[in-house]
Amino acid sequence: MIRTFRSVFGFYLMLAVRAPRARAFALLTFLPAVLAVVFRLSFPARSVEVLGVFSDILVVFYLQFLLIILALFYGTSVCSEEIEGKTLAYLTTRPLSKSGIILGKTAAYALLSAAIVLISLAVSFFVMNAGRLSAGEAAGTYLRYGGVLLLGIAAYTAFFTFLGVLLRKAVIIGLAFGFGWESILQYFPGSTQRFSIAHYLKSLLPFTPKAQGFSLLTFRLEPTSDAMSLVALVLITGVFLALACLVFRFKEYISEE
Amino acid sequence: MTAVICTKSLSRWYGNVLGLNDVSLDIEPGITGLLGPNGAGKSTFMKLVSGQMKPSSGRTSVFGERVWNNPPIFRRLGFCPEQDAFHEGVTGWEFVKGLLELQGFSSREAADRAVRALEFVEMISDKDRRIRSYSRGMRQRVKIAQSLAHDPDLLILDEPLNGLDPLGKRKIIRLIKDFPKAGRTVLVSSHVLPEIEAMTSRIVLIHQGRILAEGDIHYIRDLIEAHPHVISVECSDPRRLAGILVREEDIARLQFGADGRTVVFETHARDKVFSRLPRLFVENGIAVESITSPDDNLQSVFDYLVGK
Repeated sequence: MIRTFRSVFGFYLMLAVRAPRARAFALLTFLPAVLAVVFRLSFPARSVEVLGVFSDILVVFYLQFLLIILALFYGTSVCSEEIEGKTLAYLTTRPLSKSGIILGKTAAYALLSAAIVLISLAVSFFVMNAGRLSAGEAAGTYLRYGGVLLLGIAAYTAFFTFLGVLLRKAVIIGLAFGFGWESILQYFPGSTQRFSIAHYLKSLLPFTPKAQGFSLLTFRLEPTSDAMSLVALVLITGVFLALACLVFRFKEYISEE
Repeated sequence: MTAVICTKSLSRWYGNVLGLNDVSLDIEPGITGLLGPNGAGKSTFMKLVSGQMKPSSGRTSVFGERVWNNPPIFRRLGFCPEQDAFHEGVTGWEFVKGLLELQGFSSREAADRAVRALEFVEMISDKDRRIRSYSRGMRQRVKIAQSLAHDPDLLILDEPLNGLDPLGKRKIIRLIKDFPKAGRTVLVSSHVLPEIEAMTSRIVLIHQGRILAEGDIHYIRDLIEAHPHVISVECSDPRRLAGILVREEDIARLQFGADGRTVVFETHARDKVFSRLPRLFVENGIAVESITSPDDNLQSVFDYLVGK
């Protein structure tokens, strides 16, 4: 399976980097970075609080929009693009383990998503925080935000890969999940919000003192501990990837063509 | 000789539709042509023996092993799908090399093998062009290159001549005929008899999911020639042409078409009559506008064979 993983990962990373879709997603993902630059250039002397609120908005944009969009379109396409493009036969008539195919392709797409998001986050974060945080503080906070986004990419991509392997119209269900279920449930009181991936991601975010006022990131959040959030996100990723591999191993896709 | 592909009571349903019905077949090394009209079950059979589908009932084995969910067997198997489908963003060489790496070859060996395979299909001069810029014939040859680049013992080609011009067909027929050296096996499908005939003399006739006949081309030809073949000739003087044709042997029923310009006749010796017709037209000065064969397709032959 490791050999399959490596060869599938390499092949699909090359294809994914060259695909027009990657350029479109990179442009979309760099939108907040551009906004951050424009904001800082237009209002260089704004108060620390205003900058903090704008940073919050950017993080919400990354966490609750970009992450979901990237994971949704890359995750669901792991299987569906092979069926729709009628290229599945090139994979299923090779000496490749089916689990290796799913894991290798998902990893290639997740890596590309992570690279796009982390570079964009680095630009927008350091532009917004130039002059506000010390170099050490800025690096530490960026790493924390970056780590949370990486965990988010892994969990959402795993979930959407599973949806794509299981269902034919996975994008529609995925959109409902990403922008319906996830958006609403995280604001439910009590333990209900723990049924969303966003809850664990937000629980891991670093919160600055200014966020004690209104913040989209902390609104109604009843955070889970860091350790539990980490375990939950790793479990979500592992379970959905395992389920995706299992379904792909036994389901017949060729008849859907 | 030992059978490479062996199926026993193999059936496959798509919901309520029967795709393949109780097929028992042994395919030995060499080239075997799977011949049948569209929708006959050729692709279903090929997908079952190449492990892309599970049988609904019965069993199939390749090299004595089951195929479904048995990845190691694909080291010995090459498959060329019917669909004109590719990962479009790459060049022909990158496509074949990438698939060879998936086959388990190192990057260097995959690169060398990809070059050799593209040379074999005469695509080496275009190897660095993006696949999306290829013509239909070039795409077909790249598809064949990926299926044989790893030197499989069994090559399965689903309608490899579809959509090609006559020159492209000739090239691919020659490639296929060159492949089965040293005991290798090729299973190739088509719905056009002369195409299959140009590649092999060993034919399996499939229709409505069932094997109607299998054997040497001459046996199949005999079956087909027992079936009266209809030929229609449109010309300026149909009455004179009819007068000439009735004197010819091998011409059975003869009648005039509804347009008054056509002579329609039946023959049991299709090839003989077709070879004699031009001489008849020239010797008798008949200006022919068109010659068509309304049932010059396998469907009518199959209808005849199944007794419709």
